[in-house]
Amino acid sequence: MEEEWEPPVPAGYNDANRAFIQAFMARGTLTFPEGQKLVAAILSATEGETVDPQSITQDTFAGFVRTAREAVEPLDYDIRSSRDQLRNGERIWAFINAHSDPATQMATTRSPEEVAYIKRLMDLLFDEYNTVRMEVMAVDEGQALKASRPSKRRESQHVNGEDEEGQPSTTASDRGLKHSEVLSLLSSLVAEGWLEKSRAGFYSLSPRALIEMWSWLVATYNDDSPSARDWQRIKFCESCKEIVTYGQRCSERDCTVRLHDICEDRYWRTRRGEKKCPKCETEWTGNHFVGERAITSRQAYQRGRGGRANGNGSGRRSDLEEAVAAQQEAAADDDDEDMAEA
Amino acid sequence: MPPTQRQRRQAAESDEDEDVHQRLDSPADDGNSEVDHMHGVERGETSQLIKKLVRYALACEYSRTPIRRDGIKERVLGIHGREFKKVFAGAQKQLRATFGMEMVELPTKDRSLLTVEQKRKATKSQSQKEPTSNSYMLVSVLPEHLRVSDIIAPSKVQSADGEAAYIGLYTMLIAIITLSGGELSDPRLRRYLTRLNAAENMPSSNPNNENAPSEKTELVLQRMTKQGYLVRVADNKNAGDDDAITWHVGPRGKVEVDNEAIAAVVREVYGGGRPNEDLERKLQASLKVKERKPPRSAAADRAPATIQEDEEEEDAEGNDEPEPGPSTRRGRRG
Repeated sequence: MEEEWEPPVPAGYNDANRAFIQAFMARGTLTFPEGQKLVAAILSATEGETVDPQSITQDTFAGFVRTAREAVEPLDYDIRSSRDQLRNGERIWAFINAHSDPATQMATTRSPEEVAYIKRLMDLLFDEYNTVRMEVMAVDEGQALKASRPSKRRESQHVNGEDEEGQPSTTASDRGLKHSEVLSLLSSLVAEGWLEKSRAGFYSLSPRALIEMWSWLVATYNDDSPSARDWQRIKFCESCKEIVTYGQRCSERDCTVRLHDICEDRYWRTRRGEKKCPKCETEWTGNHFVGERAITSRQAYQRGRGGRANGNGSGRRSDLEEAVAAQQEAAADDDDEDMAEA
Repeated sequence: MPPTQRQRRQAAESDEDEDVHQRLDSPADDGNSEVDHMHGVERGETSQLIKKLVRYALACEYSRTPIRRDGIKERVLGIHGREFKKVFAGAQKQLRATFGMEMVELPTKDRSLLTVEQKRKATKSQSQKEPTSNSYMLVSVLPEHLRVSDIIAPSKVQSADGEAAYIGLYTMLIAIITLSGGELSDPRLRRYLTRLNAAENMPSSNPNNENAPSEKTELVLQRMTKQGYLVRVADNKNAGDDDAITWHVGPRGKVEVDNEAIAAVVREVYGGGRPNEDLERKLQASLKVKERKPPRSAAADRAPATIQEDEEEEDAEGNDEPEPGPSTRRGRRG
């Protein structure tokens, strides 16, 4: 009886599909152009004549993705896609583990100290530098270095106090990482496609990491208890309903409406061009930001950079005080920032 | 390791798994009762164990950790330790059907690598069975034409560039060791490393990291050893002798860089991009590989790009040493 058991695979499943899955797993993510190249290479190999990547249509690629997804779903893997919040919203497909948290994903080849650091980094991104006032959800190098060692002060002050599921927690035995080790780790997380480093030197989660971890992020950083405030750490785009770590916010500080830059045009069109917050009706300014621009658009930041940036944002003096305060809270000391700049 | 956590989580999510049970069950559901009376284990349970083992195997491979029988028992089977055979067979089927991969047993330690002392012990405790390593690794079972570099690229663990460089280096070292008769003294390994311009440093696992683009050769060799690509044997009998340390090919190295792959490296380096009968003859003598129309071969599929880099360096380094060519090496060390 056991001999007869055959694993379920989609109808018509063949070696081309298997090659697609192997290739996808090695790469982690695919964009459509990458997918075209890959599918063309597979078809060239199976059909014995060269297939032009340009001839691979969205439909063909989608077919490969659908079949692969169907094949791996019973094993708790999944393929999901999302639009990049930057880069014109290019769609990205990611091969993911459906049971995912930083420890199972980013950390599989990492040491316990590195795993613990990654957890601290997540806390920085989504807790410490993600406040009602400043939703930065990004850190510069100096800030990332500050979390090198576990701090007693904010020991696992989790929103939900969620059980850590055996993850090496910040115990006394964790002596943290050296600064050089943090820099290597950050760089390798960028190379592996979990983090992105912006031109201004800020690290934030990549689209791949967001696709893979959004449910973990919501479970860890949002408070779903009845007494919870409206404002939650992880918020979603009013238009596309996907997570926002880089976008715009309502200028009313306590309003929770957020919008991706890449969704903006389409969204206002559906509102017949009326640029008002759909919830509190405040005028939508388009210059209140989520993401690193929450810092970089501030005058104090720009002035700190030797007036490198001028122009837009001029004449908003009233913000200065707030900006300085916020920067002390968020950006910490200048030396570190200069390092990040270099 | 991730699997423990996955395991726990899966254990806690039996509700959600319900429909997976059914899906996995249905093909075999030929009217038999739900319970396998032999072991009293529900079929759905077996499917869950198979799924866990598949996931465990993939996670191990990701970090180049051998899939050990003990590990499977501890992290996958738990109280169902007696189901090993059934679950393992099911996982193999699933891996082949879905991913085009399978687990192959790693070779046992070479008897020739044992010290005299160890050999004596081994003989004493001699058992009737063939020795087994009880460790496995995942390999692709896709047909060769689908294992080319533009399909299966170096994996993005740490960084694709670092991975490519690493694969290139261990492939080259394994080729050299194998063609030297399966054993290389430490000084000779060092000489080859010098010719590869890798005596002191090698590319790190993430060469794009401006803070650490390279890594000490010693550390990389340690990683290759730990991951089973190389074996370093120190014979303390003749301590102080230069030849005391020898390098061999490790279990993972033997499986991943097989003779076909080594032949592909040699063809790239010495084949000159055209059919070369003389070379093929030597390759057959040394490696017993299938004859093949030379130029491009897919055998070194995991990172041909890097291998090319290495060659260029090798070619450029001039010929102060006899070429590490195929058959010439073999008889020399014995």
